[in-house]
Amino acid sequence: MYYILFILYPLALYRSRLIIAALVLHAGLIISSAITYGRIPLIGLHDTLGFLTFFICVIFLITSWSRGRDLFSYLSLALMLLLLAGSAASPVMDGPLPPVLKTIWFELHVILSFIAYALFAVAAVLGILHLVQQEEASEPIQYRLILLGYVLFSVAIIFGGIWAHLAWGAYWLWTPKELWTTIVWLWYSLYLHARLVRGWTGKPVAWMGIIGFVIVLFTYVGVGLLMKSSHEF
Amino acid sequence: MLYALCDNTMKNFFLSLKTTVWTLLALIGFFFIGSYMMPVHRDVFGPMSDLLLFQWIERFAAANPWQAWWFFASFAALVLLTINTIVCSIQAVIGRWTRRDFLLRIAPQVIHIGFLFILLAHLLGAGWGYRLSGFMPQGTLAQGLPEGRALHLVEVRIVTDEKGFPTDWSASVVLYENGVKVTSGVLGPNRPLFYNGMGVYLKNIDFSRGPAAILMVNRDPGAILALVGGLLFMLGSAMLLVLKWKKT
Repeated sequence: MYYILFILYPLALYRSRLIIAALVLHAGLIISSAITYGRIPLIGLHDTLGFLTFFICVIFLITSWSRGRDLFSYLSLALMLLLLAGSAASPVMDGPLPPVLKTIWFELHVILSFIAYALFAVAAVLGILHLVQQEEASEPIQYRLILLGYVLFSVAIIFGGIWAHLAWGAYWLWTPKELWTTIVWLWYSLYLHARLVRGWTGKPVAWMGIIGFVIVLFTYVGVGLLMKSSHEF
Repeated sequence: MLYALCDNTMKNFFLSLKTTVWTLLALIGFFFIGSYMMPVHRDVFGPMSDLLLFQWIERFAAANPWQAWWFFASFAALVLLTINTIVCSIQAVIGRWTRRDFLLRIAPQVIHIGFLFILLAHLLGAGWGYRLSGFMPQGTLAQGLPEGRALHLVEVRIVTDEKGFPTDWSASVVLYENGVKVTSGVLGPNRPLFYNGMGVYLKNIDFSRGPAAILMVNRDPGAILALVGGLLFMLGSAMLLVLKWKKT
């Protein structure tokens, strides 16, 4: 069933609203996994990359509602298919949830983080549009998505801190993953402040939106693969 | 004249958004370096989360400045960012107010106060309080804990599924203060026991030499402040989001 998504998602290039079928199927797959394993599928690259693709698709659908087929659709679809391929290639974690993850704080922390990541992803695509096509209208939308993503990411960090305090007695642990999470947060804080400085608006902030998502990807995938941290489950 | 010039330059420096931007960039750079230094120098950074931060600085960072320089640089950048945040917020609050832009001007200041509370919480947690952990076989008593307390590990339990995979574990403990029982409870993953600002945590269990647990007791005087800071940050962010969304 998962592989049908590879056919359904590109249909958005034919007509963007056809992606709703892919979205409904993807939602169905997430719900069926949740029922099968008795938990929201949020562990490992298979689950989380699938989750990220789903939310990117939702945001893409909302953002592209009144747009035709253009570079935005091509880039967004390419990103979704790439992440979906990563999800399909990753092993499924079908075991029970480790006891330390059995808390609402973990679920809120992860779900909000991935919605924020998805917003940052679409914002990066809009940044490319601003730079390549000099599309002025894309920059304010990029700002809105990053602002919303920043707020959700901040809330995710706060919920993560509450969870860590209950689990390990410390709301902050000095590990590379925490440092990189802070780098992501600082980077988007930088974006929001830089946008107010004369000379940094326009192309520089569009670039910052793109670089931000590269940092997000490294924090999410790279740090887990290359560095030891408290986020290994 | 020279004093006035310096005073003005200083004021402009701390009031400038460019100071915020460049300090944030520097902080990102230091954390980036730190994330690579930490796994390379595990002997220096390994105990960082097990000790109070000031204890770690005294015992490890100060003795290894070539490995920990990024940490001291980050600390300096955070001090600069704190001053910058306070000065900018004061300037924004004492400026001219109109009824129309009240919420739009107050929302970033609420976020800033939340951020400052979180930094203050880290500072308090770094220098005050305590964090002790140790291996305890079932039935033993850990005496000599801070504030005249002692901890008795009554029983360790583990629940496994049909494949033998552990699905839950717990430890029953009794806490004494000056020889008198003050509280008791069952610890588990995400289930600490709190008593008068002290937390008792079940870090791990060990059945290799009979039932035992690794327990931790800690007092973090910054925890409540961090929570208040987090709530203020969320409140300010939500306000700013709604207002900016409408505006753009």
